[in-house]
Amino acid sequence: MNTTAALPDAPNKKKSLSLRRYSARVGFLLVLPWILGFLLLKAFPILAALWYSFTDFHMLQPDQIHFIGLQNYLTFLKDPAAGSSLFRSVSYFITTVPIEMIAALLLAAIFASERLRGKRILRTLFFMPSIIPAVAISIVISGLANPTTGWLSLYILNPLHLPPISGRGTLYPIILALWTVGPGFLIMLGAMLNVPREIYEAARVDGAGPIAAFIYITFPMISPAVFFSLVINMISSFGGVALLDRGLPYSQSLSPMESYISRVMFGSDLNLGYASALAWVMFIVIMAITLALFASTRYWVHFAEEQGDAEI
Amino acid sequence: MQRSNRRGLFHHADASTLTLRLWEFTGTALLNLLIWLSVVVFLSPLSFMVITSLKSADQLRDGNAPTYPAKLQTLTYKGQTLLVYNVPTSSGVKNWAMLDRFRTYSDFIDPANLQAGPIRWNGFWGSLTLHYNPGITFENFTNLWKTVPYPRLLRNTFIVIGLGELGILLSSIMVAYGFARFPVPGGKTLFLLLIATIMIPDSITLVPTFVLFGRVFNWDGTFYPLIVPQFFGSAIYIFLLRQNFKSIPRDLDEAAMLDGAGPLRTLFSIIVPQSIPTIVTVALLFFFNGWNEMKMASLYLGVRPDLQTIAFSAQASPSYGFTPQTLQASALVLMIVPVVVIFLAQRYFMQNMIIAGVEK
Repeated sequence: MNTTAALPDAPNKKKSLSLRRYSARVGFLLVLPWILGFLLLKAFPILAALWYSFTDFHMLQPDQIHFIGLQNYLTFLKDPAAGSSLFRSVSYFITTVPIEMIAALLLAAIFASERLRGKRILRTLFFMPSIIPAVAISIVISGLANPTTGWLSLYILNPLHLPPISGRGTLYPIILALWTVGPGFLIMLGAMLNVPREIYEAARVDGAGPIAAFIYITFPMISPAVFFSLVINMISSFGGVALLDRGLPYSQSLSPMESYISRVMFGSDLNLGYASALAWVMFIVIMAITLALFASTRYWVHFAEEQGDAEI
Repeated sequence: MQRSNRRGLFHHADASTLTLRLWEFTGTALLNLLIWLSVVVFLSPLSFMVITSLKSADQLRDGNAPTYPAKLQTLTYKGQTLLVYNVPTSSGVKNWAMLDRFRTYSDFIDPANLQAGPIRWNGFWGSLTLHYNPGITFENFTNLWKTVPYPRLLRNTFIVIGLGELGILLSSIMVAYGFARFPVPGGKTLFLLLIATIMIPDSITLVPTFVLFGRVFNWDGTFYPLIVPQFFGSAIYIFLLRQNFKSIPRDLDEAAMLDGAGPLRTLFSIIVPQSIPTIVTVALLFFFNGWNEMKMASLYLGVRPDLQTIAFSAQASPSYGFTPQTLQASALVLMIVPVVVIFLAQRYFMQNMIIAGVEK
């Protein structure tokens, strides 16, 4: 398992024990940067946010902090703007993540086919929009929806006599969701290419068609990859960064709740205590969704039996 | 395999085999057609951006102008610049330059036959369309270059990305090596904790880190908040690298260790050279993230316009009063670097993103 395995002889026992202690120390030192970062940039801020949420911490009066109990949380319950932001955050997650997942799954299934030509360039073309900065997308989408010069109005809406579409409001979230298909698509494609061919051969002999093969073989075999990309998509739909950052500032976060928090923090209020309380509410909601997703894996994700010291 | 069997039978000229092969061919053709069509639709906003950014202002103002980038055809006649119109005549549509226009008739010059002098055409000139020739203009890009301080923005962006890249690679590689090869006390719990931090939303740590960086360390208006955190590693990169390090046979680094190489020497002479594809993938992921990064930049660089990064500065471009086509040019400039990088690195990057997924 580790270096001690190379020195199994009894006389070396003392030496191997000190070697073990030595390598544990080296390991600890190697991991230390992350532990420090975790304490300083994650654990401490999370606890500090919890403490702030019970105070009237204000950006303009950082010296006058008073403990005000649950008052910030009571304000949240009475704040319709906060409630609707949270609701819209959750509905953004519920509406866009399935679009992304289905698009990625469909694309991966097509790419797994041996009949497709030019896979390498197509793969890059479908992945490429996932790295385009959000500002650029926002400019392009507003241009596309421009009532007089945009292609959307000129070639689709005007000929069909449809009213103009607001670029930022309607089109932007849809394009953003579809253009985030890249990482999920590659992860699922990798998993699909890893499914042993023999299983499909056996299924074909038993008379399974392509759809049955997908439902009973492909999907169960790639379900860990589907779950992994579900988690990644969930994080980014709430404004976090999992693999690829589009560069959305807090004020334009995909998650309306996150932009509401930044408004409370930097807008007219500058109320850090209330912003912290809102962040904790959002944290609890996200953790609840995460736990529900993990709990659901029992029913649809087939994790392979792993042996030895390979965990996760 | 089935196909080769059929090919063997093919000389029987079996009608049903032929039908089947035809079906297979049609299916393949349809699939390929469908996917190429969908990639065209999928990327159509980008085509719109590129084409618009190459159009001139006159063209965008004219509702009858062609879709492709084109220039107005003009004629210089006796010191005057005349516009060329598409004029319907009894002998077909002529491209004539308009000299004078009136309510019921207009005078034109035929560019092919200047000696003939003005030709009178009866009809209302308002019903005519301007004549365009295909041609691109770079005026939008030159306007942009004059307004936006690109050299400074690029310098700032590359400072942040370069130093950040150094920090993230050093720390993530070391931490991943520690988790992959050493009996770290409480290692399993720590690693689970590491995975859990991937799911912590930024907004929860927003207020305290803002207080820490801005008020305690007084880093407001500096690059430090964008660079220093990278030296503590990033959970997802550590995860990807650790999975890769674990797949390298232990015999190699154990042999090096027995030969007296210390842990760091083993890491850089054995582990790192074998993990170049994954390390390049992590470096590229960080590059894309660094190029697009906006949250930290908007929090800490807002007070220092001279330190702004390219993505952060682009955020203000819709308010500069740019014309629509210059705006599209600015979007193109902003995305061109990551797009070129992904095409140059596609062989490496795509393959390793796939592998990273499989290993989960």
